[in-house]
Amino acid sequence: MMPIEYKNINYKYPGAQNPVFNNLSCRVGDPGFHALFGQSGVGKSTFARMVAGQLNGFAGEIADKEPKKVYYSYNLERLPGWSGVGEHIDKVTPETNKNRIDEIVESFGILTCMDSGFSRLSLGQQNRVNLARYLLQDFDLLIMDESLANVDEATREQIIFKIKEMFPEKSFLYISHSVAEVSRFCRNILVLRSFLKMPQALTIHGQDDIRGKQVVKKDLEETMLEIVNAS
Amino acid sequence: MLHKRLYQFVLVYFIGLAFLFTVKGVFNLSDYVIPSLPDIYITVHRVFTRYFFDVLNTLSVAIVGHVISIAMATAVGIIGRLSNWIGSLIKTAAFNIQAYPIVAVAPMIFILLGDGLSSRLLIAAMICYFPLLLSFIGILSEPITDIEHFYVHSGRMRWQLEVKIRAFENMNKLITVVAGSATLAMVGTIVSEFIGASAGIGYSIRIALYQSDLSKILVALFLIGIFTSLYLAVLEWLGHMVSRRWGEREAQGDRQVSGS
Repeated sequence: MMPIEYKNINYKYPGAQNPVFNNLSCRVGDPGFHALFGQSGVGKSTFARMVAGQLNGFAGEIADKEPKKVYYSYNLERLPGWSGVGEHIDKVTPETNKNRIDEIVESFGILTCMDSGFSRLSLGQQNRVNLARYLLQDFDLLIMDESLANVDEATREQIIFKIKEMFPEKSFLYISHSVAEVSRFCRNILVLRSFLKMPQALTIHGQDDIRGKQVVKKDLEETMLEIVNAS
Repeated sequence: MLHKRLYQFVLVYFIGLAFLFTVKGVFNLSDYVIPSLPDIYITVHRVFTRYFFDVLNTLSVAIVGHVISIAMATAVGIIGRLSNWIGSLIKTAAFNIQAYPIVAVAPMIFILLGDGLSSRLLIAAMICYFPLLLSFIGILSEPITDIEHFYVHSGRMRWQLEVKIRAFENMNKLITVVAGSATLAMVGTIVSEFIGASAGIGYSIRIALYQSDLSKILVALFLIGIFTSLYLAVLEWLGHMVSRRWGEREAQGDRQVSGS
């Protein structure tokens, strides 16, 4: 997949005094598991919505050489209450991806949730179910806006490893507030900063951990330090 | 559900009756103004059967009018939820028209359509239609972003699905609104009969008014209350069944979780 280049993006919410983006330039959409990191209120979700095509009214240039299927998932999403989780997932999964259902369901630890109603699941299970249905779509880039926020650390690790194994050619933009997590698992970390700082976005290389690889503690700490300094 | 509604009504009715007799005693009013208990008892024997069928007649018109108004409000509400010019036009029109008292138009309807069933039906439907429509538009135009997001961005959203999601998420509100408007349908039918029709309990109340016979009116009020309570209880029961059916899957989930 060809990446999307954003050049000199400017955006201000209607009625707001300050802009969210001030000559923001960056690149997203390279294959791999990447992160979008930044302090609260810096515009991560706004940027994600812009990438997903859900935000209009911004100025700047977008170099997008080929049309892409961008999906945006976030942790507060719910499934409709009239059908069970399994029935819903089966219904919304394209025929070509149906053979992946079992693998994803099993590796995400949500097999026992399939006959349940969504509202009866724990928050962590809800997060996993929601992410699973997105992964079963035909996407080029999937934005995961705190999509695993309520999932415990060990399960989160397993899920991220599984995503990397199953979708090496796809692009992911993982939004998280955990410096350690993005430093360890992500290939590139796009650090979004206040509109007063120039440049507003910096890219830092992460450790891109995969199953079986041992991340050197010193390298991880260096990456974390770089991210903290950048933000 | 039913017995609660009946108890409540009977209690309110007899409190009202006690109040009337207190007023009669305090101001020393004659039986001509407020009849005595034996007078009421005699009237019950005289008119009960006739009034029973009159109320039944009124109730059937109210139910048909109510069903028509629900169907109309659903159809127009689905169009009115849109954010384009048609939706805006419907919303504006509904807000403006509902501010006008429909009862004031009733004489015109009787002049144009006569004093038969169609006039009663139309007035009953119109009186409960606008409150229903405003509620339906409000409920159906409010996005349930947490659920709709996935469907919108995966290109699966259809208007039927959008309506289903919003109706499902607001099922309790819808049931309350529909049950509440049932009283309006009954009121509309009685008012229309009172104004100009030649059948129904409203018409009988008009005759009783001309005769200044409060005991007949009291019997009519009792029967109206009983039948309205019955209708509301049936609607609440239907709403309960719909909620239960729609929520069956979640209940299954409940059982599974508790069983595991």
